[in-house]
Amino acid sequence: MIDPALVSALSALMFVIGLGGAFTRKNAIIVLMCIELMLNAANMQFAAAAVHHGDTTGWVYTIFAIAIAASEVAIGLAIFLAMYGQHDTISLDDVDVLKN
Amino acid sequence: MAGSEVTDIAAPHVTELAPLIVLLPMIAFAVILFLGKVFNGNPTWKNAVKEGGIIALGVMSAVLVLSLLLIADFIGSVQAGHDSVFHWFTSGVWDGTSAGVSTDKFGFGIYVDHITVMLLFVAAFLCLLINTFSIGYMNTDPINDNRNHRFYAEFVLFCSGMLGMVLADSFLWLFIFWEIMGLCSYLLIGFYYERPSAAYAAKKAFLTTRIGDVFLMIGLVMLWDLFGSLDYTVVFDSANIEHVAEHSAGTLQWALGLMFIGAVGKSAQFPLHVWLPDAMEGPTPVSALIHAATMVNAGLYLVARMFPFFGAEALHGDLADLAYIIAVVGGITAVMAAAIAFVQMDLKKVLAYSTMSQLAYIFTGLGCALYLANTLDWHHNDKDHYIVIVAFGAALFHLFNHAMAKGMLFMASGSVIHEVHHAHHHLHHHDDHGDDHGDDHHDDHFDAQSMENMGGLASKMPITATAMLVGSASIMGLPLIGGFWSKEGIIANAWRVAQDDPKFLLPAMCVLIGAGMTGFYMSRMWLKTFAGKPNNEVAAHVGPTNTWIKIPLFLLTFVSLSSVFFAGMGFTHWAPDENYAFMSEKSLVDGIIYEMGHAFANEDSYFFIITYIAIALGAVAGPGLAMALYGGELEEGESAKPWMTPVIRLNSWVKARFNFDNSAFAESTLAVALQNRLYIDHYYDMAMLKIVAGFSTKAADADADVIDGTIKTIESGSQSISEVVRSLTTGSARDYILMVAVGMLAIFMLVWGVA
Repeated sequence: MIDPALVSALSALMFVIGLGGAFTRKNAIIVLMCIELMLNAANMQFAAAAVHHGDTTGWVYTIFAIAIAASEVAIGLAIFLAMYGQHDTISLDDVDVLKN
Repeated sequence: MAGSEVTDIAAPHVTELAPLIVLLPMIAFAVILFLGKVFNGNPTWKNAVKEGGIIALGVMSAVLVLSLLLIADFIGSVQAGHDSVFHWFTSGVWDGTSAGVSTDKFGFGIYVDHITVMLLFVAAFLCLLINTFSIGYMNTDPINDNRNHRFYAEFVLFCSGMLGMVLADSFLWLFIFWEIMGLCSYLLIGFYYERPSAAYAAKKAFLTTRIGDVFLMIGLVMLWDLFGSLDYTVVFDSANIEHVAEHSAGTLQWALGLMFIGAVGKSAQFPLHVWLPDAMEGPTPVSALIHAATMVNAGLYLVARMFPFFGAEALHGDLADLAYIIAVVGGITAVMAAAIAFVQMDLKKVLAYSTMSQLAYIFTGLGCALYLANTLDWHHNDKDHYIVIVAFGAALFHLFNHAMAKGMLFMASGSVIHEVHHAHHHLHHHDDHGDDHGDDHHDDHFDAQSMENMGGLASKMPITATAMLVGSASIMGLPLIGGFWSKEGIIANAWRVAQDDPKFLLPAMCVLIGAGMTGFYMSRMWLKTFAGKPNNEVAAHVGPTNTWIKIPLFLLTFVSLSSVFFAGMGFTHWAPDENYAFMSEKSLVDGIIYEMGHAFANEDSYFFIITYIAIALGAVAGPGLAMALYGGELEEGESAKPWMTPVIRLNSWVKARFNFDNSAFAESTLAVALQNRLYIDHYYDMAMLKIVAGFSTKAADADADVIDGTIKTIESGSQSISEVVRSLTTGSARDYILMVAVGMLAIFMLVWGVA
């Protein structure tokens, strides 16, 4: 059995990769993928903690998070479609109507 | 605090209905205002309810009926033999919040005693009569189209304020209703607000009375501080007064003194009198109701309300100085206002100054009565007791007589002005009648209020002339009529006090001289208006007035004439005291005989002489001088009613026999000064310009530099900060994510660090 500590470390690595990607990339789909990566890092952390404590609650949370992530992706992609319809782009740098 | 135990409310149903006296007009105010808006928009409905006048009339009739029930209940409970002093003060208390009687809760209560009953009748009766008069006066004038509903709405709101003030059971409610009246006075003086003089007069009246009201408020706060309550049942409680008297009698005198300044402003006494003559800019019914018969009595009512303090044994002698000040203010105003009335040409202004002068009489009377109550041992000595009660009763009775007579005089003057105006109209605007009707009050310089445009009206307006004659006689104190009974009482009491304390010679002298002056200016007014030949074409074409106006004049003429019966019924002892109850001692005939004997054949030679001097001045010298100067025979072929003919005959005889040239006086500095109201208004204006305007300019600068400056600095500072902050919002989602991440990290570290 893999040491939960290693899983936890992998989770942290995935989170940092996701976070870094989220602020550096300008393609909205890639940013969404990075966000998913961070979410999955959190899931992994849940799993690691569940194994470590021998408590199934963590697994239950993971299942929930996966379900939520699925719907979130659907909504995110729908937003990008709408964004493309309005602005003809999904580059985040070109969409700055919140400015000022 | 221990309040009164009101266990035996004689007839609860009446006292429970009493709040309706205040509520009904207040509801009518909203109804008339709303209906007027709806009705005026629809030309066919417009006069359907006389633009609110009939609604007001119905409400005021209901109010009068309820008031009479309340008064009958009060008198009944007195007759039934309640002899405790306390029941005099509290006949019944209605509390809106709970069934019981509360002394420390804030609720509206009804407080009924002698003073309330007197004022309640005066207010309810005159409100109804003047309402009737208004329908005749306001609804026939085209200038009032589309705005009469405003008049009636404010009229009933005023009535509500007056009745509420009279019935209120605490000084706080008194003050609230007092201010409602002030507001209505302001609105109604400025009824013709497009006239600059009316707008100015309204402002002047409001601000001048406000000066008094500020002092009144300070006085009330001090009173609250002393007693912990403003309820009459608490502050008039003898145990509480005793408690206060032990430690802070001086403070109490100051509190009452400040409240008296409020009364001075409201009742137009020197030095806060300047607003009353200008208030005549309002429609005549307003002058009659507010500025002659009811609102100006509010100040007197307030002073009369202070009686329990002055009469308290614990405060014996402590408040004598204040009583003296009240008497002196009254005395000075009585003479000053009468002197200014000598030279006024405006009919309503003569009456306005007369009002000031007569109110001053009542103040002097109250001052003397309060002095007597404060210095005599009236709780234990029957003779002193009688003296105090008669002194207080004379002042209250004069209030009654004056309100009736002056309300009538103003209505009669309104009737004259109305008809003179119509006659003028008839002559000069006959061809284009209807076209420029709307603004004819402004398009010419004809002054329908000036006595220059009157003269010889006795034959043309018999009812009005009679009413004016009786009213004038009542104010002058012509023996047996109206104010005679009370005025002689006030003069005699002033001299009685002067016997005890020589410094009271000043007010005593003032009221005695004032009697002669009253005789002169009232006679002058009547003679200039009704006797002699018409001064011009307009006066020759005046016709009789309409029925709505005649009814109240007719009724009030009889009220003034039957004053002798009121005197016989014990109105001269109309004071909060169980021993001198309403009609309880003597029958009516005995009462009249007693009063007659007391007035004309006083066994004390001192008062005998004073009475006859006052009669000689007020009923012979004053009118005689006026008759020598003014009036005269009517136009050929014109004849007055038989009861006025002797007056006019006497007038023409005196004029023929004693006429002299008074132009030397008319050109003298004194006459000019009197015409300019002794320059008091002028000095006030100067003081306003110099002191108030100077201070206001400084204050405006301070406002611009300091207060606005601070605000502006804050504003510009926050603007520049926001410039910096704004540059952080790039609009890029990635930057926001970064900020969220950094923020989360910061929070995490913070929590971690704290943990």
